[in-house]
Amino acid sequence: MSTLRELQRDIRDALLGEAEATVGEIAGDGVAPAARLAVYRHHVLTSLTAALETTFPVVVRLVDQRFFRYACDAYVRAQPPAGPCLFEYGATFPDFLAAFPPCRHLAYLPDVARLEWAMNVALHAADAGVLTPETARALPAGTLESARLALHPSVTLLPSPWPADALWRANQPGGDAIVDLDAGAVDLQIWRRGDDVVFRPLPPAAAAFRRALAGEGTLTVAARAALDAEPGADLAALVREVLDDEVLLDCTR
Amino acid sequence: MAFQSLAGIGLRSPHVEEMLATRPAVGWLEIHAENYMGGGPTVRALDRLRLDYPISVHGVGLSLGSADGLDAGHLERLARLVERVEPTLVSEHLSWSIAGGAYLNHLLPLPYTEEALAIVTAHVARVQERLRRRILVENPSGYLRFHHSTLAEAEFLAALAQRTGCGLLCDVNNIHVTCANLGGDPDAYLGALPAEAIGEIHLAGHAVNDADGRPILIDDHGSPVAEPVWRLYERALARFGARPTLVEWDTDVPPLPTLLGEAAQAARRLDAAARGERDVHAA
Repeated sequence: MSTLRELQRDIRDALLGEAEATVGEIAGDGVAPAARLAVYRHHVLTSLTAALETTFPVVVRLVDQRFFRYACDAYVRAQPPAGPCLFEYGATFPDFLAAFPPCRHLAYLPDVARLEWAMNVALHAADAGVLTPETARALPAGTLESARLALHPSVTLLPSPWPADALWRANQPGGDAIVDLDAGAVDLQIWRRGDDVVFRPLPPAAAAFRRALAGEGTLTVAARAALDAEPGADLAALVREVLDDEVLLDCTR
Repeated sequence: MAFQSLAGIGLRSPHVEEMLATRPAVGWLEIHAENYMGGGPTVRALDRLRLDYPISVHGVGLSLGSADGLDAGHLERLARLVERVEPTLVSEHLSWSIAGGAYLNHLLPLPYTEEALAIVTAHVARVQERLRRRILVENPSGYLRFHHSTLAEAEFLAALAQRTGCGLLCDVNNIHVTCANLGGDPDAYLGALPAEAIGEIHLAGHAVNDADGRPILIDDHGSPVAEPVWRLYERALARFGARPTLVEWDTDVPPLPTLLGEAAQAARRLDAAARGERDVHAA
């Protein structure tokens, strides 16, 4: 007889395995043990697929629900959640889609999934104080200039060779029917503002500036990165915008 | 009214806005702990609702029965949530969900052996120590049993309560479902539970599916409480006395008034049970 640890490994493998998989310790009592285990497998796969449908609704629309569920079946079996908070499940789903042969021809799909993942991260990110234009003005002179800054945990910077933002918008109720896939690259900032998840494309200097801040750089480091990206960048405007967006962690508390 | 005789509802995201706007009369709210372990609007809504309603924190992911051991990080997150929400009740399940680092998002069955009892006992003790409070442990719905079980489920729960001092969450629908699927007597099950340990009752709807050509009851929380479950609930109240009772509805979530109507049906039976207790004490 196996130990409980061995039994649980066997059940895990059987649940993530083929439809007929079972384990010897299960009693039948008039119903095939494999059919009893299949009741559990059905719930594991459908409930985790439902969690992914909640996180990636635009991907569902783009590929059709039946295909989405087919992809989820393979994803869940290959990469089940590592922990019980389902809003944290699916970080690797965009990469999985990029490598999933049946949809590899949809080259833009993984970036749409990355945008939806970033929106999910923004929605559930830990609460933390942000530096607003008002709080920044109240700081003693020189504080901001010398501080090691960081972006709020809700912020993701997502560069894409595709118009991922237009694709997302086109798949909202009442969205544009036509998206120009040759519209060019975007560099998106996705974050939570108050209770709302929002995103916007950033010009090259602003994107470089914020990327440097995301690496916990100082304003000096970020300014250098912005000037490298765009030699004529308006540094005062970059600082003002980052405060207006409310994406800087409040470093003064 | 005493908390013991109040009926509550499981708080589900489609109802949150309406709850905030209308603050309907209902005894208390139960949340799934794992949905509130991040930040943002979800937890802020709960911060507001908890000012008006007692809250029960119901964990679904601690995996008390995992032979691999408890996830210490997850226990910390639960502890922080409990500190933030200051719930009236905290509960978890007699089941496991994690093996070899994979979380399977299901309340999976344990063999009822001394080995499993020792593991669950150690985990419940550790959780109670960390949370610095008693927790309730719920009976799962069962679709299979193991050849090598040596204890009945109710005996296992009674022993767990006796060894750890934990309370029990008696899910009446789960007793009905499990007994129908695995061949047991629901009244004998109720009779084997220690009445003084019961701290909460759950009610929900179930579905009837087919497994290998035979009907199998599925605890899908997707319909009104079934008539036989209401009757079993009345017998549970007669045996245990009034206990805070929750109606859960998780799939095909109905309009809020439908769910509140189910809770009102439970409240009527709770009132009757509480009156009965007072009459007994008066006599």
